[in-house]
Amino acid sequence: MRKTLSAGVALGAAVAFAAFVPASAATSDDADLAVLHAIPDTPVDVYVDGKLTIDDFQPGDLGGPLQLPGGTYSVALTAADATDDSAPVLGPIDLTLEAGKNYTAVAHLDAAGQPAANLFTNDTSKTAAGEGRLTVRHVAAAPAVDVLAGGEAVISGLENPNEESLDLPAGTVSASVALAGTTDPVIGPADVDVAEGELTVVYAWGSAEAGNLALATQTIDGLHSGPGGVNTGSAGLVAENGTNGWVFAGGAALIAGLLAGGVYATRAAKARR
Amino acid sequence: MRRLLLPTVVLTVMMLAACAPVPEADPSSGTGTGATGTVSPTPATPTPEVSVPVAPATPVALDPVPAPERLRLDALGVDMPVEPVGVQAGGEMQIPERPSTAGWYRFGVAPTDDAGTTVIAAHVDDREFGIGPLAKLREARAGDVVTVTDADGAATDYVTESVTYIPRAELPVDRLFTRDGPRMLAVITCGGDFDQQTRTYSDNVVLIARARS
Repeated sequence: MRKTLSAGVALGAAVAFAAFVPASAATSDDADLAVLHAIPDTPVDVYVDGKLTIDDFQPGDLGGPLQLPGGTYSVALTAADATDDSAPVLGPIDLTLEAGKNYTAVAHLDAAGQPAANLFTNDTSKTAAGEGRLTVRHVAAAPAVDVLAGGEAVISGLENPNEESLDLPAGTVSASVALAGTTDPVIGPADVDVAEGELTVVYAWGSAEAGNLALATQTIDGLHSGPGGVNTGSAGLVAENGTNGWVFAGGAALIAGLLAGGVYATRAAKARR
Repeated sequence: MRRLLLPTVVLTVMMLAACAPVPEADPSSGTGTGATGTVSPTPATPTPEVSVPVAPATPVALDPVPAPERLRLDALGVDMPVEPVGVQAGGEMQIPERPSTAGWYRFGVAPTDDAGTTVIAAHVDDREFGIGPLAKLREARAGDVVTVTDADGAATDYVTESVTYIPRAELPVDRLFTRDGPRMLAVITCGGDFDQQTRTYSDNVVLIARARS
């Protein structure tokens, strides 16, 4: 009886523990890397550590995400018809990626219109229930800008190559970009969908001088968290005060186990096919 | 074992195809022999060794999922309307005021999503509106069928696996409100002891059911 009991306790603990390990834990040895091409009019090839990784990468396109072990990678951009990375148009630059983190490398113009590259770390920490995160990055050949939502500046004085983030109630934001201190849009207004539990990254890219300023959008999910609780009664009309044995201390672990067990059952079923 | 063989072969071939550089066929260069020496080989444009998905960085239009509109638990005679709800100011799940209406957590998954747990909850009672249909939830048994009907008329049947009392503070919200794992349904209300001071029940009553098919 003692043995059975302790085995049961151990199983309960294991189930409860397994249930609270985040789903992404299995891949936390890797870093996620996406690549945005934000240099207008210049298709390129992307080389990582000397190997062609993205062929004929077009401006305005987003590549990835790549799952890469943590470490330092050398990235070079060449003309799209290059045969190797010996004559890069940008780089090689070293990108240091930390396992478990999420990055976007952006090839873009600096404020003066020269090609540049930047490695941004995406904030994928959990968002509150009902909210999503909006990150705005200025990677355009343009002076400081304000980001306006509903006519009000929600981000002020953002300069190339900086970023700002806001957690917002999930929904659609009508956003426009204006030169800092002004309200005349140079981009937009555009509807930006901030989905619950997702990171939406909006890039202002292109060149003010060339008249090709535009928005690029990237979304990353997995930031979702559940609400704080479920309060579903206020009158006490069906109370069970005094009826012993209802409160079931292992309840949370049991539920977690059922849901987790379901995952394994599904995997097994797929493997059998 | 035989059934496993074919996919394995296909997979291996695909991996080979993905890993091997595609040789450029150039008859004039004598590719591969290196012995002719008279014609300088045209350098081949390399191809990537890995296939990286590339797409325009434009907003992805979200397909709105059909919202659940009705919750039925025939074994208990429960048949109630469902409306979409979100989060209230304190961070808890919003619950329709009347116990006769259930709320579907619209920031979670819907029955038509291919993974995760759909969450539907209702007040067990209310001082003004009385006792709600989910007062019977505690009587549900494993095997009872729960049917959720969407706004577009599509019905999804779930088979009850458990009904559990959980102290409200211990509700495993991140497991319950998950977007991953098998297609499950959680129906939640309150039960257990009632505290007259705080006007709250001690527990959540949680029914867990698995999508049939």
